[in-house]
Amino acid sequence: MDELLALRESFRSEVSAVNSLADLQNLKNRYSGKKGLLTSRLKSLSSVPADQKPKFGKDLNELKEYIEGEIKGRESALREDDYRQRLLAEKIDITLPGRPAFFGRTHPINQVLSEIKAIFVSMGFGLEEGPEIELDYYNFEALNIPKDHPARDMQDTFYVSDDVVLRTHTSPVQVRVMEKRRPPLRIIVPGKVYRCDSDVTHTPMFHQVEGLMVDTDISFADLKGLLELFIHNLFGSNTPVRFRPSYFPFTEPSAEVDIGCIFCSGSGCRICKTTGWLEILGSGMVNPRVFEMAGYGPDEYSGFAFGMGVERITMLKYGIDDLRLFFENDLRFLRQF
Amino acid sequence: MRVSLQWIKDFVDVKASPVEIADRLTMAGLEIEGIERVDGDMVIEVEGMGHSGHTGNDMVFEVNVTPNRPDCLSILGIAREVAAAFQLPLKMPAADPGEGLTPSGISVEIADTDLCSRYAGRQISGVTVSESPKWMRDRLEKCGIRPINNIVDVTNYVLLELGHPLHAFDADKLAERKIRVARAGRDAAIMTLDGVERKPDENSLLIWDGSGPVAIAGVMGGEGSAVTATTRNIFLESAYFEPTSVRRTSKQLGLRSESSYRFERGTDIEFLETALNRASLLMKETGGGTIHHLVDVYLNRYQPVTVEVSYERVNRLLGTAIPGQDILGILGRLGIGTEDKGETFLVTPPAYLRDIRHTVDVVEEVARIYGFGNIPSRVPKTALSDGSTNPRETAISSVRESVRKSGFTEAVNYSFMNTADLDMLSIPADDERRKYISVKNPLRQEDGAMRTTLAPALIRNFMHNISRGVRDIRFFELSKVFIDEGGRLPSERLRLGGLFYRDRSPSIWRQDLPSFYFVKGALEALLDELRLKESSYVMSEETFLHPGKAADVLIRGARAGYVGELGPAIIEKLDLKISKPEVVVFELDLDMVLGMVSRAKTYSQIPRYPSVERDMAIILDDDITADDVLRYFSGYTSDLIESIELFDYYKGKNMPEGKKSLAFRVVYRAGDRTLTDEESFLPKHVPMLSKRAISLTSTCLCFIASEVAINDILGPSTLTTVLPVFPSRSSRTPAAPALYPKFTSKADDPPERTRCPGVTSLTSGMMYIPGTCIPVFFMNSTTSGSVLSLFSSCCLTYFPAPASFLWPKASTPADSSYSISPPASLSPSATMIIYVPAFTSERITRAK
Ligand SMILES: [Zn+2]
Repeated sequence: MDELLALRESFRSEVSAVNSLADLQNLKNRYSGKKGLLTSRLKSLSSVPADQKPKFGKDLNELKEYIEGEIKGRESALREDDYRQRLLAEKIDITLPGRPAFFGRTHPINQVLSEIKAIFVSMGFGLEEGPEIELDYYNFEALNIPKDHPARDMQDTFYVSDDVVLRTHTSPVQVRVMEKRRPPLRIIVPGKVYRCDSDVTHTPMFHQVEGLMVDTDISFADLKGLLELFIHNLFGSNTPVRFRPSYFPFTEPSAEVDIGCIFCSGSGCRICKTTGWLEILGSGMVNPRVFEMAGYGPDEYSGFAFGMGVERITMLKYGIDDLRLFFENDLRFLRQF
Repeated sequence: MRVSLQWIKDFVDVKASPVEIADRLTMAGLEIEGIERVDGDMVIEVEGMGHSGHTGNDMVFEVNVTPNRPDCLSILGIAREVAAAFQLPLKMPAADPGEGLTPSGISVEIADTDLCSRYAGRQISGVTVSESPKWMRDRLEKCGIRPINNIVDVTNYVLLELGHPLHAFDADKLAERKIRVARAGRDAAIMTLDGVERKPDENSLLIWDGSGPVAIAGVMGGEGSAVTATTRNIFLESAYFEPTSVRRTSKQLGLRSESSYRFERGTDIEFLETALNRASLLMKETGGGTIHHLVDVYLNRYQPVTVEVSYERVNRLLGTAIPGQDILGILGRLGIGTEDKGETFLVTPPAYLRDIRHTVDVVEEVARIYGFGNIPSRVPKTALSDGSTNPRETAISSVRESVRKSGFTEAVNYSFMNTADLDMLSIPADDERRKYISVKNPLRQEDGAMRTTLAPALIRNFMHNISRGVRDIRFFELSKVFIDEGGRLPSERLRLGGLFYRDRSPSIWRQDLPSFYFVKGALEALLDELRLKESSYVMSEETFLHPGKAADVLIRGARAGYVGELGPAIIEKLDLKISKPEVVVFELDLDMVLGMVSRAKTYSQIPRYPSVERDMAIILDDDITADDVLRYFSGYTSDLIESIELFDYYKGKNMPEGKKSLAFRVVYRAGDRTLTDEESFLPKHVPMLSKRAISLTSTCLCFIASEVAINDILGPSTLTTVLPVFPSRSSRTPAAPALYPKFTSKADDPPERTRCPGVTSLTSGMMYIPGTCIPVFFMNSTTSGSVLSLFSSCCLTYFPAPASFLWPKASTPADSSYSISPPASLSPSATMIIYVPAFTSERITRAK
């Protein structure tokens, strides 16, 4: 009895010390091989007293099963380990950098521009474009800014000739579209515009998005609703928005749209000039004189137009403090976005 | 405009804090851009609008008055707004010089009544010109005007206070004591108060006395009639000049003044008399003297325009439900006369609001006083429509994304160009890019033209970055260029431009391909993204590119742009201090490219039957391009050839000088069956190669040439067993061997029968590579016809010809005779080698 117990103990300590398949094979042979310890015990069964035989046989069998089970378990563990070791021998240095395959970046202005476009497209607006070198007629006259009108001072204009200018805003496309199509109209016009001005807060070229919505019964309340929706989409739904009277020759009434300063949450800071508000876009109800010039009956339709500077919105969104960075094209700047 | 709050309080008794006043004005359309706390004429601090608290001696508002509000270009105007906003009464200062005054003794005549509707004045005699009182000087300075003397100061004071410009003449200097308002006519000249001799154009309106011009109407007075320290008698002018006339003159002369600023925006023709009286009284108060009777020539009397507006229209345009009474109340507070007519009401604006002529003008006034914030927000209800997708926009976005994903970062440059850049790039005189548009008033001479090419700006971006230590520079730009084609407006074309530069610092993974191919790869990816397949590249003539490393990009045969390395001459001018930098630039006419893009996508079934691939390497002279070969192949039609693709390029070790190896993979596939080996046997599909291929003069050279290419495909082990085939001495047609004879050892050297009959020199022949079944053909076509027919007979001999055996321009082959004419482009002295290293990879593996 004790003999079997001792055998079991010695096996247990030996099997746990085995670290290779070869050693395990030796162990296996030593215990359960033809001349193994178990076999020799089995042979000694005859010398066991008859009354103890059944129990001895049963215990021996149990021990055999135990040893075989252990060896099997140990074997599969060792095999697994061995397999793993072989694979690890094929290891590569996973800390080496990957083969460089980096993407470029879209210019931050165009990133914001696509965001703006996507918002309006989702609201059913179509995209239109127009010439950057434009007739004075479309840039001014048809927008109710006659020659010799003080409103022309609002925009410093680059002239190509007396009647051709670099467009000072994207608004001329409004007229070009209205000349071609009848309401309902829902369009936005993104594009480059030019002003003869260059300082810390002005560049001679910048980007605007113009919007126009015309139908039979569009009101100032619609203008407010739509632009609030847009601003909440772009800056977050908690952004305060206010509309304040202003002047654009091609809209009446006209409104500047301010958002609560996103830097100081409206408490007043350097960026909002302590007002708590940031001017973000201009808007207004389309002036009936513009409808007339585009060939629409002034009382037949109503609509609103709006325009925004993309540089300004981009600066606000990303906290960029120098307008000129946009056109320097320093990769260390561009790759931040 | 700077406005003193203390001064405003002369007109309206407002108790609200400065910040609140500023806020109300801003929300009524008079944007207050800043508040300063001042004491005397000293600015103590700039008051934040968000802060309230201390009132100093006075507060000054910086008001942004929009061009539609000339009525607000004065203290009175602002006070009127304050009164309306806070619903307070407006007080007017005394302005009645009394009755029974002596005549002014100056005659006034308006000659050009189209430019001047009213001209009034008074003489103030016996005044003493001296310093103004301190209160007046303080107020002027607070509002940004330098005090001069009491007479000039009074005119400025009243200009600021009531918004009407006045001019004081020294009455004694007016020749014949006469005022005539007339155009300048030809050759008029006048020395203005600022001491400059001005030459107004013919249509400018001038004020004349008996001998000549004494003032430029509404812009600036003349020096000759100016008030000086010794002046005793004043003639004070208060007139109404046509806004557009004043503006034109002021612009033409480049001379702007507080007066012209107000006149060109429109002044109050009715009110000018009040301003005149107010100033007269102030002159008397500050300089003594006697006020004389009014001279007033008022030809075109102001006729108030009455506008009829419907209540419903006001509310419909605003999206509100403001009761009629409230609408009338708001207008009343602005000094606008109204009369209720039931459904509608009549509006009679005062002269200072003469711009109110239409319904919307009335709507605007109602809306801004009602408060934009009180108007509800509503999401517009409108019919759904199509057209919110724009295929061109979508295509442009995919171009941007495609180039970006090739590693290029987007630049945005000004649309201006320095015309010297065209010279720098040596753009020829007759090139389209010389047809640029000039800007008349550029900010800098270097920005004097509109871009006709994106390259100069991209090169500038490159310079900017390289000088700041950036080593990997990949830019693209999507912008318009402008070509003057003689029309009213130039042709605007969307361009895609780009620049690629990578310095040669070692990279951990090999990236040592010439930069040109990197950029070309990006362009190919782009065209693939646009599903444009028919593109090709030819040597470019662009003057600024390296003549040997530049290509024109052709799409369906039309030139869409260029790609190439900047030429050494340009690089030298850039003075980069880098040896031989590879700077690759490209430009594509995107309008043209997008015009070829089709939106339609077609489906074709995924092939059901396996393909057979055949590889072939060809050793060629360097100046035979890959495109030459591919084009040659493509001229050759077979329904079974699915694609022919260049997959390897080798040049260098073991390759003869001036030669390169190109390896092509031909994929055969039939839609309805698995192909047999015979059907996809390569040589029958490989046409003669044109031009000057490698010229072989010995088997040895042949060996080298083959070795390289075979090496690439089979690995080096097979090399030593390449065997040349020697010319046959007999002209007997050999017996056909088994299909694809296999040579497994040296013992299986080609037997006699592999010798080509009729091949008479070492420059022609055929060889096998033992161990594989790779036939190698090389031949000279000096005697093209006969050699080619020989070649065909070799093919026939060893590889039974399927019925579809075709050569370019070949007539239908019959039985065992093939009439093969060499391609037209084949030069008579051309030598060709074609070897077919692999029939299938499976076969190669088996052979090994
Ligand atoms: Zn702030």
